Amino acid sequence: MPITVTPQTFSYVSFDAATIERIASDLVASLGMAEQTINISVDETTPLARTVIRLGGDSIDIHADSGAFEDTRKPRQQSEVTTATSLGRVLLRARDRQGGGFGEAPPDGELSLAQIAAWETYSIGRLEKLGVPVNRQRWLYNFRNRHGFSDASDGAFEQLWDSDGLTWGELCAISDRAIAATRDPA
Amino acid sequence: MRKFFPVEDLARDERFNKITMKDRLGDPRSVFTIGEPGDAKKAKFRLTPERRDASDGARGLMHGIFVGEIQALEGAGRTCWDFETDVEAPFALKLDMARQCWDEARHVEISVKLSEWMGTEIGQYAENTVLFEAACSTDPVLRLAGVNRALEGLAIDVFTTMKEFGDMAGDPYLEFCEDWMLADEVTHVKMGSDWLRKVTEKDPERRKKALEFQGVVDKLFSYGGTRSESDESPIGLARRFRELAGFTDDEVETINELSLQALEERKTAVVKLRDADQFAQAAAGE
Repeated sequence: MPITVTPQTFSYVSFDAATIERIASDLVASLGMAEQTINISVDETTPLARTVIRLGGDSIDIHADSGAFEDTRKPRQQSEVTTATSLGRVLLRARDRQGGGFGEAPPDGELSLAQIAAWETYSIGRLEKLGVPVNRQRWLYNFRNRHGFSDASDGAFEQLWDSDGLTWGELCAISDRAIAATRDPA
Repeated sequence: MRKFFPVEDLARDERFNKITMKDRLGDPRSVFTIGEPGDAKKAKFRLTPERRDASDGARGLMHGIFVGEIQALEGAGRTCWDFETDVEAPFALKLDMARQCWDEARHVEISVKLSEWMGTEIGQYAENTVLFEAACSTDPVLRLAGVNRALEGLAIDVFTTMKEFGDMAGDPYLEFCEDWMLADEVTHVKMGSDWLRKVTEKDPERRKKALEFQGVVDKLFSYGGTRSESDESPIGLARRFRELAGFTDDEVETINELSLQALEERKTAVVKLRDADQFAQAAAGE
């Protein structure tokens, strides 16, 4: 199924649409999502790094700010690793929602910061297993910021990072237990 | 050993990528996509844990602190060497700069450890070399005004924002380390304020020139509204610590006005750019 990238040429940043398409193509193949139509639009007017997904009937629409694909070492240049990480995160979230077990998950805009961090930890851990280079400490720091700086929080991070096949309920339970244990250490 | 070292020759290994203020100013992108100049509805970009990208924002700012500490060390070190003792700069001033070098060296080490803790690699973000550029003046008083008062003053604002971030997020290391470094920065700014007054005591023209230079550096670092009392700015203005560092109420107010002016200028520029872009797209469509 096709993958489309807009715009095809960039003027604010030095990104390459063909590279984005290739990375997305490799990811959807690895994630078993090759039957899906993927539409990726990049807002090159902002350096922010937000990514938003919309799930249609047969397609997944991804809207990314340019910072989501940018090389922080070289402003306005594209990073293949950052592109893969950003796309991989949202594609896994889409696959979770489509695959069952995540039916109770609120829409992305209504997720709490702790839920987002937990889901991202779960997603990045799976991306690492696929061979995408990730900085584990970065995601641990992100998780701690949302669940507290405690041993219980670190334990929950490990559990999510190493997991596969979780349901929304299981993911939330791990997140909630970590927050409760940080607030009320035994 | 050579004097007055140019910024292009600063020693960095392959992990670092240096950019200049020109590169930064040349980036047409902006985070200001919601509010327009004068709008009542303003987006909040203050770096707090409530921001969705808080962790990455804090990591980026921490790396900015790290490279700033390296350049502050290099700048203070140059001031010890570049000027003839008791002819161009008093011995006691150089002694203060030597003490500052020791502080900055510790800050570099602390920043490296904090960056590791936050999951950032050395050189992961581009290094803006403007701090060292401000330390290249041939007049030691201008260096004190530009670096110790303007840039170390900005450091007070940055450290205060980061300390509050660590406190709110419950990060004990970040809060503790920023608090310690903040105390040193207040001392560095105070040294700049004291020496500026002392050295230019009988030379009002030189003092005026130094304060003008400080204003230029302050404006440059307020570019895009990065620092102001508005919640639209990622970094706040730390009034209390600036007072402790020897800034008068009028001086703090001037910096605040300068910062808010820079914020509005940037927003106006973004709107113009966006309008021009839409016009170009419409023209292409026809």
